[in-house]
Amino acid sequence: MSKNMTISKYISYLFLISICAAWAIPVIFGLTTSFRSQTEVINSGFRLLPLEWIMDNYRAILDNTSTAPIVRWLGNSLYIAILHTFFVVVVISLTGYGYSRMKFRGRDTMFFVLLGISFFPPVVNLIPSYKIIDALGWVNTSWAMIVPGLAGMGNIFLVRQFMLGIPHELDESARVDGAGDFRIYFSIILPLMKPVLIVCALFSFVGSWNDFLWPVIVYTDVDKMPITAGLLLLQDIYGNYRMIGQLMGSAMLAIIPTLLLFFFAQKYFIQSINLNSGIKG
Amino acid sequence: MKRKLMPAFFVGPHLILFLVFVLIPTVYGIYASFTQWNLNSDPVWTGLDNYRTILFDSGSTFHRQFWNGLKNTLLFVAMSVPLLIVIPLMVAVALEHKKVKMKGTIQAIIYVPGLISISAAALIWSLIFNKQLGVSSNVFGSDAVWSTTQPYAWMIIIILTIWGGVGGNMIIYRASINGVSKDLYEAGDIDGAGPIRKFFSITLPSIRFPLIYTFVMTTAGAFNVFGQPLMLTDGGPRESTTVLMMYIRQLAFGHGDSIAGMASAMAVLLGVVILVISALQYYVMNRNAN
Repeated sequence: MSKNMTISKYISYLFLISICAAWAIPVIFGLTTSFRSQTEVINSGFRLLPLEWIMDNYRAILDNTSTAPIVRWLGNSLYIAILHTFFVVVVISLTGYGYSRMKFRGRDTMFFVLLGISFFPPVVNLIPSYKIIDALGWVNTSWAMIVPGLAGMGNIFLVRQFMLGIPHELDESARVDGAGDFRIYFSIILPLMKPVLIVCALFSFVGSWNDFLWPVIVYTDVDKMPITAGLLLLQDIYGNYRMIGQLMGSAMLAIIPTLLLFFFAQKYFIQSINLNSGIKG
Repeated sequence: MKRKLMPAFFVGPHLILFLVFVLIPTVYGIYASFTQWNLNSDPVWTGLDNYRTILFDSGSTFHRQFWNGLKNTLLFVAMSVPLLIVIPLMVAVALEHKKVKMKGTIQAIIYVPGLISISAAALIWSLIFNKQLGVSSNVFGSDAVWSTTQPYAWMIIIILTIWGGVGGNMIIYRASINGVSKDLYEAGDIDGAGPIRKFFSITLPSIRFPLIYTFVMTTAGAFNVFGQPLMLTDGGPRESTTVLMMYIRQLAFGHGDSIAGMASAMAVLLGVVILVISALQYYVMNRNAN
């Protein structure tokens, strides 16, 4: 090994380890603080580990069902994210099949017109979107977060790209055998789409779980809001840092689902880039 | 007959969703920007009044809010985007080093904050930056309250953004660098090129397209900044971190009468700024690359 190689190895390590430390410490500090008593938090300054581990903060979080119903917020978020993800998979697989496998006049033109419109910055449709949700009677309901995101073009673009790369032989031969579109979609195309659908589902779940601006706008009812909007409220309720342990405990509970998802499906998150062959260059 | 209707079954549901939640609100958002509107009654057409007030009427609050919000948004973009390109690139290059071990673990640690919501992340970081309890005072010995003192207020907003944003670009760069032909590097070795020379002459040109893509997307995303200043500084001190999205939300959905027409005009202006800058970036970078 050349001397150059050794030096660059140490520089790389030094850089990577400092970044990893800076990236991990806030979460570790938040986690351990959630097991500390308020007196300890106030008096002990910055310490990574608690002097005494207590569960009181989490007990208080579970007990609070009025001013800050955190368990309810987590339930709302879970309900919203699961339903949203399910509908995303249904919509993008149907639509992806339509734009990649069906023959109808103006198909590709229509697809690219929709794609072009969807590049328009979403900030412009924010206020009228609220108005539409209001007109549908969906303000302060879970539908406000489940449905609008289904209109996006990004995932459909990915599914269509993916399907264009898969030869038509299987579905063509099924068609010759007399299978209809619905049969072909369900028993041939849907299984083929699995890799791209899994990736889209994961990102839809994470996106829905973490969405912040939209829930802050459409929820005023404390019982109906998801955890992201709830945490904003919590910051006011526990303001001036009177209950830091509970604040950190709530934040920790809010990040568990997406971290679990990452833990079990890491390769899909990381390999998602390969689907977007255009980006990879 | 039946075959003719089949496409409607597959493509139709999404088309309706697209009309209701993308096309109609976008068109309506542009229309509303030319009206006086309080979200409840019908908008009243006022032509270019909103735009005239926002852009030129220096006595108006909206004028001050728009320019202050735009300035702060641009400041955020200018500070965050370069770091969100350079740091992930450095991490990706360091991770490519043949002798570096535990690549998967390092990558996971850096990627995970991107999966944490802004509100949870802000709570965690506000503890770190808490004057009494966190790192800023106890480790760095700073006397200031960071969330209400400049330049710290911007610093904590940028730090939170970098923390959450590096991972996504990093995996794009890693995948692209992996795709660069090994022959090029071997040819570089034969020519006696060092690691820095190889980075600038081989790696960078080879990942040109992902660089343009991430640059454009990261910038467009940064213009929509909202959660970090809302949670960390609430726009302070003295509105020096109040970004345009915060004013838009405040005007349309804040306490008191909704001023949705004015907010829509600000939203359209922000949209135009995003479009123009994206187009410019794409044009300039593509031209320089060729």
